[in-house]
Amino acid sequence: MILPPELRARLERLSLVTRRRVAAQWAGRHSSRHKGESLDFADYREYVPGDDFRRIDHNLWARLGILLVRQFEAEEELPLRVVLDSSRSMAFYDKFEVARVLAGMVAYMGLAAGDRVQLFTVPGSDGRPLGVGPAGRHLSQWPRLETWLEGLEPTGGSALAPAIRRLAGEGPVRGSLVLVSDLLTPDWQSALDGLAVGSGGVILHVLGSEELDPDLAGDLRLADAESGGELPVSTSEDTMRRYRDALERFALDASGRARRSGLDYVLVPAVAEAPNRVLAALARAEAVS
Amino acid sequence: MSFLIPAAFGLAALAGPLIVLYMLRSRRQRVEVSSTFLWEQLDLPVSSAVPWQKLRLTPLLLLQLLVLAAFVLTLARPFYSQQTLLGPHTVFVVDTSGSMAMAGRLERAREHALDLIRDLSEANQVSVVEAGPRPQVLVAFARDPELVMAALNQLLPTGGRADLSGGIRLARGLATPDRPTNVLIFSDGGVSVLPEEPIAGADSVLLDDIGPNLAVTAWSLEPSTEGTTRAFLQVANFSAEPAVVRAQVTVNGLTAGFVDLDIAALGSARQTTPVDAGPGDVVEVALVGNQDSLTLDDSAVLIVGGGPERAVSVQGSGSPFLSALVDAVPGFTAAGDGPADLLITDGGPLPEIDRPTWLIAPTTPPPGVTLVELVQNAAVTYQRPGEPILDSVDLSVVAVAQAQVVEAPQWLVLVRAGDAPLILLGEVNGHRVAYFTFDLTHSNLVVQVGFPILGARILEWLSGGSAGAVSTEPAGTPIGLSAPAGTSAQVTTPDEITRDLAPGSASFADTGQPGVYRVGYRSEDGTVLEGPVAVRSFVAEESEGAARVIATAGGALGEEEASTLIREWAPWVIALVLLLMALEWWVGHQRPGWKRRSHRSIDQPKVPV
Repeated sequence: MILPPELRARLERLSLVTRRRVAAQWAGRHSSRHKGESLDFADYREYVPGDDFRRIDHNLWARLGILLVRQFEAEEELPLRVVLDSSRSMAFYDKFEVARVLAGMVAYMGLAAGDRVQLFTVPGSDGRPLGVGPAGRHLSQWPRLETWLEGLEPTGGSALAPAIRRLAGEGPVRGSLVLVSDLLTPDWQSALDGLAVGSGGVILHVLGSEELDPDLAGDLRLADAESGGELPVSTSEDTMRRYRDALERFALDASGRARRSGLDYVLVPAVAEAPNRVLAALARAEAVS
Repeated sequence: MSFLIPAAFGLAALAGPLIVLYMLRSRRQRVEVSSTFLWEQLDLPVSSAVPWQKLRLTPLLLLQLLVLAAFVLTLARPFYSQQTLLGPHTVFVVDTSGSMAMAGRLERAREHALDLIRDLSEANQVSVVEAGPRPQVLVAFARDPELVMAALNQLLPTGGRADLSGGIRLARGLATPDRPTNVLIFSDGGVSVLPEEPIAGADSVLLDDIGPNLAVTAWSLEPSTEGTTRAFLQVANFSAEPAVVRAQVTVNGLTAGFVDLDIAALGSARQTTPVDAGPGDVVEVALVGNQDSLTLDDSAVLIVGGGPERAVSVQGSGSPFLSALVDAVPGFTAAGDGPADLLITDGGPLPEIDRPTWLIAPTTPPPGVTLVELVQNAAVTYQRPGEPILDSVDLSVVAVAQAQVVEAPQWLVLVRAGDAPLILLGEVNGHRVAYFTFDLTHSNLVVQVGFPILGARILEWLSGGSAGAVSTEPAGTPIGLSAPAGTSAQVTTPDEITRDLAPGSASFADTGQPGVYRVGYRSEDGTVLEGPVAVRSFVAEESEGAARVIATAGGALGEEEASTLIREWAPWVIALVLLLMALEWWVGHQRPGWKRRSHRSIDQPKVPV
């Protein structure tokens, strides 16, 4: 079980807030760029033959002498895509366990809100950059999504940019996107730049404690878990200070690129309290309501 | 601080290789991390090709250097010298005279000695000699502090005068050629007779604590002209303040009266008082409510004699040995011109035997004895075995110039020289008779150690026993015993402890405690025959508590500089080594918190959220 019952109960009362209007195929609870049948007034337009007579505003016709019909907000479902980084680097420092919970949390919140939720993983199986998971529109479909998430293992190297490009080519429907990743890949910048999502989203940047505050000493050969490459490093106070500066620049750059792409950014330490911290951070950013 | 093995400091050179190890570049350890992506951004310096690196003084290196230094120090065995009175073999001679009871002198001596034996080790041996009225060795060549402590704890002040010279002789007798021996005298000097020359090979600890003291210096009984008994009491004041003192007189434990005395400072007062006491009564005087620095002399005891002493008349040529014998044996006195209870005839014709008689080579033998001839140059060849009179009396070296050869079939022959009897016991006219067949002055018997004992026992045998006899002597004077055949002596001490003596014991010497000693002779069937009663009194000269320095010439007997004790620092240095090693392990393996103090906590990421 990825999500404990108390967290689920809390998530059922929350929903992601879209920053832009949704263009979707199915009616839902999010405002659409199309005018629709909701009770929320949107605008007037001149009457054209074929319009519903019931929408003609008779008061304006009496005062202005022109026929205007009332237009209302159309409520449509939010296509929510949740992308979980399952590269080998995520296997360290409890990052993948935390990331899987965060992905499940977002998916559950979307299902509870009646959104169409689609799960993805990077990389996919059989060498493909993107793995497509199950989709759902209702909480009754959560077990299927949960089972798929539980079956994921952090293996292989990630090529985040090709996966994002592939994701963009999945279809015309635009919506929200949530990326849960450590972004520890050389192409992370182009990947974020390509995430100009129609209705916004969130980058949940998960980093382990040893990545935030390495506990290394002496002369070492650091072996990259994904590429296998080794890097000689002699630790010292100066080395550690420079690492911390690099980490800070990395996070600031990721945050800036995310915002330019219309996404919120949350740096998540891979600790047990991560779900609560993420919800609090999203609430502060008004990304959930 | 000195070192037993200074060469061990050569091991300090190991610091060189240790530092070299820190200057060598270590083989890089491979550590797998999630990604080297961030590390690659650091513009890391290129590693030098040489295997050396600049020495960095890390806490670990400093601790390891300290551990090495402490280890080398341990191997060098640092020590310090301590002057001690304890040598390879030290004999404690502890004065237990009466004055050592003053103001805790003996306790201080005991504490001092106990302090010294804390330094006792396998390299030291200690003997303890009690220098009381009769010096004795309490423990010899002990390495076990418990043994020495037990010996020291059994020391008690006596009421007698210390025989320090005898104690020192005993101590010197304990010296062995293989081990330097020094003698340590714990004494107040007191009134002991000491050699004028400094005592060689000895040191002394002067115990001169002193305090005010009131002492009973004389307590005697004498018949008054009215026929009653009067007691004479003298109390001395050894303090600078006059004193008023009350003395309580008791007879057999019941109060018989009080005597009040005003005594000037450093003076004395005396008084006589009638005492209603009869033979055998115990008459005691004690100062009432007196709290002074010496309590042993605050009381005195006497026993009213069991009747007049037996008068002994010496007839014939006599000799100084016989006179001295009569004077020395308790319960007997020279008759002089008065009537005699016993008769000693030295040579001459046979007297009328109408009382117990000791015949010494009379010209005419008594009835029942036939003089056969004279024998020249006779030597003792036989002593009657099991005879109480001869018990512990060795006459094997006795030789006589001339002896009578007699035949006495009804007499008991005690000593014989070949076929010639030398000493016989018998009865004439119903009176006991002892018969010596030789002239004492023509023999070496009188210069034998056993002569006084033999003479005393013969007098006791002639008088028919000694029940009720009373002798009063200074504390420490031995009590002569004359156990009848088939009995063993037992002595009840002043503290009412009855001590059974080995069969054949000729004397009881443990009489340092002032008071009444009662002798009994226990037969095999358990009946106890009452023996003499002896009173041992506190020696008045000890009451003053005078102290004087005993002149000594220090240094051990046989070696100089024997009083330096070597004490190693090993326990402390080893503890330092262990402490440093624990600290080094902690720093090396536990990663103390201060090492990571500058790192940012992951709970407070600095990057925007």
